[in-house]
Amino acid sequence: MSQTINQPWWIDLPKAFLIVNLVLLLFAYLTWTERKLLARMQLRYGPNRVGPFGLLQPIADLVKLIRKESFLPLTGVDLLIVMAPVVAGFTALASFSVIPWGPIWTIGDYHITGWVTDVSIGVILIFALGSLGIYGFIVGGWASDSKYSLLGSMRTCAQMVSYEVSLALAVLGVVIMSGSLSLVDIAVKQQETIWFAGPQFVGLLVFFVAGVAETNRPPFDLPEAESELVAGYHTEYGGMRWGLFQTAEYINMITLSGLMVTLFFGGWGGPGLPGPLWFLIKLAAVIFAFMWIRATLPRLRYDQLMRFGWKVLLPVATLNALVTAIIVVAVD
Amino acid sequence: MTVLLASTAGNVLVWIIWVGAALALLASALAVVLFSNPFYSALALMANLGSLAVLYLLISAEFVAAAQVLVYAGAIVVLFLFVIAYLGGRADAPWTGVPKFSSVAAVVASVAIAVEVIVAVVVSWTGGLPNAAEITAAFGSPREIGRLFLADHLLAFEVTSIILFVAAVGGAVLGGAARRAEKAEAQTPSEEENG
Repeated sequence: MSQTINQPWWIDLPKAFLIVNLVLLLFAYLTWTERKLLARMQLRYGPNRVGPFGLLQPIADLVKLIRKESFLPLTGVDLLIVMAPVVAGFTALASFSVIPWGPIWTIGDYHITGWVTDVSIGVILIFALGSLGIYGFIVGGWASDSKYSLLGSMRTCAQMVSYEVSLALAVLGVVIMSGSLSLVDIAVKQQETIWFAGPQFVGLLVFFVAGVAETNRPPFDLPEAESELVAGYHTEYGGMRWGLFQTAEYINMITLSGLMVTLFFGGWGGPGLPGPLWFLIKLAAVIFAFMWIRATLPRLRYDQLMRFGWKVLLPVATLNALVTAIIVVAVD
Repeated sequence: MTVLLASTAGNVLVWIIWVGAALALLASALAVVLFSNPFYSALALMANLGSLAVLYLLISAEFVAAAQVLVYAGAIVVLFLFVIAYLGGRADAPWTGVPKFSSVAAVVASVAIAVEVIVAVVVSWTGGLPNAAEITAAFGSPREIGRLFLADHLLAFEVTSIILFVAAVGGAVLGGAARRAEKAEAQTPSEEENG
């Protein structure tokens, strides 16, 4: 941003704290929403015993997970088993800090920005944190010293590394069009011109498919295919350590949806309603699509997944970036 | 980070982060060599690359720092871990001792690094190093790095890409040859059975 922002640390810190907790709350109620939604799509009721409409279910789940026995595999590496979910959870939460969800508000002499931080390399930072998050899964699976865990973490690793390439290439088109790697700049640029979902439609499709694979969501949930691998990398996990892996997975989905809203759907921009509300509405729509796909499509086979990633998605993403670059240069 | 550096030369926070990152860098580098379990060595290598990224941040090279984490820690070390975990890295490899020439090389390398450090310290004392004022605000930005790659050093950049491409093709050919040999071996007995 070119204008100087007067935002002292005593605004920054509480805001960051608030955002972290809001994202965690969003995660808790995503589990409820997903169970309800899946249940309705499968002609069931879903959770409806704890509180009205089962609304207190996430809290009951949390209490249950925390009070469970904390066990460790006998032959595992304890320190790494404990640290792995922490790494996964941290990187998932930290990525959200660069996603903008509102404009700049001015109160007196001070500014309050609608993002935790705006860095010149926002897009790359999210991918870098995401690639560090893989370590949580692979180290957790390896340290458990179990064949199922190891195979699960190997699958996670191969899948995430493969699809990360397509994901990054899909974003390249947007970066070329906006001329910036800062997510705030990208969102502002779209509010001034048009949403990139139009000109970058191919990029959007590739991003969405690769995003589903990157967050290990069905139909790409090979790392935890229960019919083959029990539960994949978290087979030997229980209680809140498992809960933290689950947290990381859902928060990754939230961050990815937020990234998609920012890159392709104009961020917080929209008529009438305040920015954060627009952001939330768009976020909910994207997350609904994630859940809808989970309820609709069966799981792929592993070789199909890899072939699709490298032989279909990657060439399409590369071509999209190339064509975008040529058009942008030609128009200039 | 640019702001941090620009405020005062004796900024305490920058110094604390610098010392922490530099010590972590040395400690993790030692750990890479000293761990007998290759899986731990790979994890230490990741820590090493991470602390190097922090040092990059301190000299305002944000893009390089993020790219470092993304490419090296995110892709290359993950592949190391992948291979090590597949090969069963849990069993500690026995220490067989080093051949003579590698200890000679180690001594030479340490002496070279020591000389380098001494030269750097002496030069900075005599004021021969460029000072912070000569570094513009654009230093280390994606735009500046892109300009360096695609305007000033285009030839080197393209040559690098060709070398990487050759390496990739070479890997594919080697892997393909091994696979063909395996296939041929697997087919021979079945052909005998048919005959």
